[in-house]
Amino acid sequence: MTHVACASGVELLMDFIEGVLPPDVQAALEEHVAGCERCAAFVASYQATPRILRDATAISLPADIEASLKAFLRARTNAFK
Amino acid sequence: MVVPAVEPSDETLAARAAAGDNSAFEAIVQRYQARVFRLACRLTSDTDAPDVLQDTFLQVYRHLQSFRGDSQFGTWLYRIATNAALMHRRSKARHPADSLDQYLPRFDADGKHAATPVQLQVASHADELLDRQTLADKARDVIARLPDTYRDAFVLRDLEDMPTAHVAQVLGIEPATVRQRVHRARLMLRGYLSDLVGVQP
Repeated sequence: MTHVACASGVELLMDFIEGVLPPDVQAALEEHVAGCERCAAFVASYQATPRILRDATAISLPADIEASLKAFLRARTNAFK
Repeated sequence: MVVPAVEPSDETLAARAAAGDNSAFEAIVQRYQARVFRLACRLTSDTDAPDVLQDTFLQVYRHLQSFRGDSQFGTWLYRIATNAALMHRRSKARHPADSLDQYLPRFDADGKHAATPVQLQVASHADELLDRQTLADKARDVIARLPDTYRDAFVLRDLEDMPTAHVAQVLGIEPATVRQRVHRARLMLRGYLSDLVGVQP
């Protein structure tokens, strides 16, 4: 395993980031990304994607929904009496 | 001198609640309600999340005695919440399948990226290029458009930031399968973010 094309590298990206590839494959991919501007850009955006979507969907619990939960549990359990 | 109160661990609370201490159950609800609600929104919708939240804690209350400590309490509770969300989703009519394959990266005949580096990295800046509310609305919509199995793995692994091994436990699948599904979801969502800011993936 020495040659990595962008397409085959992309397929291995998750395993690469999680560090579960065999060491020689990991090394070959690292070498490819270090020398490929397109893959470096791709990896950056691939890693940014979860963070952007996590922040965009980080909603808090509205007070009325919290109150409904407690009323619901009060009616059906022995808690929140 | 005031000694700061030490928060009891999840496992301590779970043991007390299982033994009938209602204040311990209330403390568990207090500790996890916001996280469960957020998870429920991500796995179902804003409208369904309140029901999922209620179902989850009722199930937790009823099944506390069966928590054996084989996994962390948080993982156990997430499994209950995830199952409640999936049950809820199953009971709803599914929207028509809507492929996100168009957002997958493209390569030339030699397997090289077809897009330029500037085009390839633009998704990284989607949060700077779009206003907060637009991005929040689009994010919610596109996550709901993912194939269900990709959505579940992606939400738990990447949005809830759980380790892959815990996601595997919650979903009852192999870690390699989690990684494969999360990977496909990331590829689609990355391309979608590029498209949102005006660059074809």
